[in-house]
Amino acid sequence: MNETTLIGLFVAVIEFGTLLYLAALGETIAEKSGVLNLGVEGMMAMGGVTAFWAGVETGNPWVGLLVAAVAGALVASVHGLVAVVLGGDQVVSGLALTILGLGLAAFLGEDLVQERARAKFGSLNLGPLNDIPWAGEILFDQTAVPWLALALGVATWFVFTRTRVGLILRAVGESAAAADSSGTSVVKTRMIAVMIGGALAGMSGAYLTLSLAPGWSEGTTAGRGWIALALVIFGAWKPGRVGLGALLFGGLLALEPRLQTFGVEISPILLSMLPYVLTVGVLVLLSVRSRNRPSVAPAAIGLAYRREER
Amino acid sequence: MRLRLERRDRPLRGGQVRAFVVGVLIAFAVGAVLLVLSGHNPFEVYQKMLDSSFGSWRGLSTTLTQAVPLGLAGLAVAVAGSMGLWNIGAEGQIVAGAIGAAWVARLGPDLAGPLLIPLMLIAAVAAGGVYALGPALARSRLGVNEIITTLMLNEVAIRIVRYLQNGPWKDPTANNFPVTPELPAQAALPDLFERSNIGLLIAAAVILGFGVYTARSAWGYELRVAGSSADAARYAGISLKAKIFTVLVLSGAIAGLAGGIELTGSSSRLVEGVGGGYGYAGIIVAALALMRPSGVAAVAVAFGAVQVGGLAIQTTGVPASIANTLQALILFGALAAGVFGNYRVVRTAAAAPAGATA
Repeated sequence: MNETTLIGLFVAVIEFGTLLYLAALGETIAEKSGVLNLGVEGMMAMGGVTAFWAGVETGNPWVGLLVAAVAGALVASVHGLVAVVLGGDQVVSGLALTILGLGLAAFLGEDLVQERARAKFGSLNLGPLNDIPWAGEILFDQTAVPWLALALGVATWFVFTRTRVGLILRAVGESAAAADSSGTSVVKTRMIAVMIGGALAGMSGAYLTLSLAPGWSEGTTAGRGWIALALVIFGAWKPGRVGLGALLFGGLLALEPRLQTFGVEISPILLSMLPYVLTVGVLVLLSVRSRNRPSVAPAAIGLAYRREER
Repeated sequence: MRLRLERRDRPLRGGQVRAFVVGVLIAFAVGAVLLVLSGHNPFEVYQKMLDSSFGSWRGLSTTLTQAVPLGLAGLAVAVAGSMGLWNIGAEGQIVAGAIGAAWVARLGPDLAGPLLIPLMLIAAVAAGGVYALGPALARSRLGVNEIITTLMLNEVAIRIVRYLQNGPWKDPTANNFPVTPELPAQAALPDLFERSNIGLLIAAAVILGFGVYTARSAWGYELRVAGSSADAARYAGISLKAKIFTVLVLSGAIAGLAGGIELTGSSSRLVEGVGGGYGYAGIIVAALALMRPSGVAAVAVAFGAVQVGGLAIQTTGVPASIANTLQALILFGALAAGVFGNYRVVRTAAAAPAGATA
């Protein structure tokens, strides 16, 4: 194991961590408002395909990122309409959103499969910072997207814990009826949270098709949306902890193709099961631990709210 | 003036059938827009979908064959759903069932002869049930939410097959291709008519049997009581823990059977994609059927037709992914329309002060 492969690993950890974090952060925001959205994988695929298309058309990755955010928010609004406005079942609607997003992305992307990536995020050039040994290559030879994800994470933490908007969001997610009687529009708050969640999932898809694995093919999201969902629980609905979880799970994804290089005799396929297995383990641990104390999950998650039925 | 949803005194009669029809209409309307935008004639495409799925005996038999895993997965979800539990893991349990069946076939084709298929299907049922064991125990003993645990295990199941075909079960004669060996000829389900096999009869019998049993038996009654109110169930002396456990394992076993039939009926070898998305589609099927077995059968046939139609139009250059898109759109349309079976829209003069409407 030499320095280059080790640096390569760390770079990949941050790349995969960014991919997961963007989507998981979005899901955290939606779930904080009390809406479970199992459609992450579908929103990611839609973000990926629209970003790649916009990149091919304009040659500008930032346009792609923006288009993906809009597409993700639009797709998410279908879930919002059905599950929030009309009060349909969140589980069913979210899963249908995954099927819809994957299907629609494959349909729309049919002609993009042979297309070469014209727009890719370039590495940051921070002058002297890039020359720092190790840190230069790992942290500053990245594209701007990981830094953007970090900034969004800090912003989310700040909004959650330090602002009135965050208070309203949490109130709606903990007890919609109480929030409603204090004059907050539950439907509007949840709808916005779901659409922001969709936008972030879309951006995650854009990062995938414009940076991590430039190009588009059906199935390119490869179950990463499910990992993002798992991360929210793993990180106990806290932006910071979700971020640490993203680095951990991103690390597992980054290790997968490198195990052999490191001379480890375990099948990388077994390693790829770990994020999912870990999440199940964490869920079990959480429930054992929380027997005598309140749950960390938003109390109203999964529950539709209708004013007349409270 | 504002619009508001008000609960009807009683749900509209036949509301769900109506909602399903509305859902189909909405889905095909949206689908038509997509088709036009991508340069296809929607009428021609839909005509071809209909012809290929219902237009001939051959088409009908393909549709019914597609409906088998959809119906069994739908039933699996519905059995849990009628108790208010979500088995999102049917996809993984189908894969587990297929692994179980393939394992029996590996033990040696001469081992069982004519008994091979029954043994494979029994193993599939057992494997599906075993795969649901963890989430069932966690939910019934510790109260761990079954939605996420079952969901996570789907991704694990796919990777177990990937592991098997790259390692322990890799076909040594396949020029180093990572595939499992072909199944022996006697592991193929006997044909029924045209392109269907007796898996259709097995699935129909299981769905019908469950429909009748849950409607008539004390067990089914307890299930519905427990589903509608945990308090009522406790009051009636129903052991919730035991019930949750059995129902989730049973749900897994039914999905496992779907995997067994898929392997013996439609595949020549165990592959990673054996689940085929049927487990996820089954959730939509069960939701559209309001967790009723009779509805599950009907919706499964309709979805089977959409899938067969989707494959058929590939020859005209329309991506087959339109089929999944349509299925999801049907659900969204029906979910939205279903709300209006239970609610009606009323106008209110002005925004009422919060709290005054309760």
